[in-house]
Amino acid sequence: MWIVIPAYNEAKIIQTVIQEIKAAGYHNIIVVDDGSQDNTYEQARSTGVITLRHQLNRGKGAATKTGIEAVKKLGAHIIVTMDGDGQHNPEDIARLIQPINEHHCDVVLGTRLKNPRGMPWYKILANKIGNLVTWYFYGLYVSDSQSGFRAYSRPAVNLINTKTDRYEYDSEVIREIYIYKLKYTEVPIEVRYTEYSMGKIQKQGLVNGLKTLYKIIWNIIS
Amino acid sequence: MSLALYQIIIIFFAILMISQGIKNFFKRENGQTFIKLFVRIIVWGGMATIVAFPYASNFIASLIGIQDNVNAAVLAGFLLVFMMIFKLLSAIERLEQQITTVTRDRAISHIHKESEK
Repeated sequence: MWIVIPAYNEAKIIQTVIQEIKAAGYHNIIVVDDGSQDNTYEQARSTGVITLRHQLNRGKGAATKTGIEAVKKLGAHIIVTMDGDGQHNPEDIARLIQPINEHHCDVVLGTRLKNPRGMPWYKILANKIGNLVTWYFYGLYVSDSQSGFRAYSRPAVNLINTKTDRYEYDSEVIREIYIYKLKYTEVPIEVRYTEYSMGKIQKQGLVNGLKTLYKIIWNIIS
Repeated sequence: MSLALYQIIIIFFAILMISQGIKNFFKRENGQTFIKLFVRIIVWGGMATIVAFPYASNFIASLIGIQDNVNAAVLAGFLLVFMMIFKLLSAIERLEQQITTVTRDRAISHIHKESEK
């Protein structure tokens, strides 16, 4: 099993994130630095994990796909994706991969909305809107279409072919699940909304949400 | 029926664009879907029709409630500008995807060396 972490300007926290994952017992980790302007790449690399670098910032979706393509080359059977800002708890990884190992699921979606304790009301609202938009345009309703904490089986990543680069990537994966009729399940995850993660400007806010909506519509009509 | 030079040029372009769309559709190139082909035929076909038969715009004008054919022509002009912007955005999107592919390939090129460390 491999863990893919897309990271953009996460120099302050990326080492902690990696150490936490290692402490939880997972050592196959790949960090994709998405053209950060700080020293995210050097910080991640110094922990000894595989670190790749995008020369240009291409977006979370593009960085995640790069990580997935890389671990496919390393022969990964199960791939977990998680954010680089420390909001995901590595203790949840075991529950995330269990349905793949035991029930032959193709994709496991970590969902924040089944356990929204500590989640700001506006994030809950934004997520619900994101779910409705994803359902309307891509045909599948899931309880957290914007979560980056997911697990994939190897056959699933061989089928899933995303084209989008930024936050619309998460919704595009839902479309691929629907198109290829992949077996999926949703697992509640804990989300740690820290001062650090809430303060990041490139996170999915209102403006980025509208951009994502525009991109989803654009990808359908273009 | 005699055609002015501008009519011949626009009809030629319309035929070119539609035939290109049909070719792309059957060869499955440039992500050409049926809906895209349909929109292309409507826009370019409509433009060629209006140019070849200018009085056809009177019929369209009365059909959709526009007062005269000059207004219909202005509307068609808007459609043309819209189409051009659409093409421009499509080209930018394609370039963005190509940049991502190149960036990704460069990032992954050392993966085996990295994993041996």
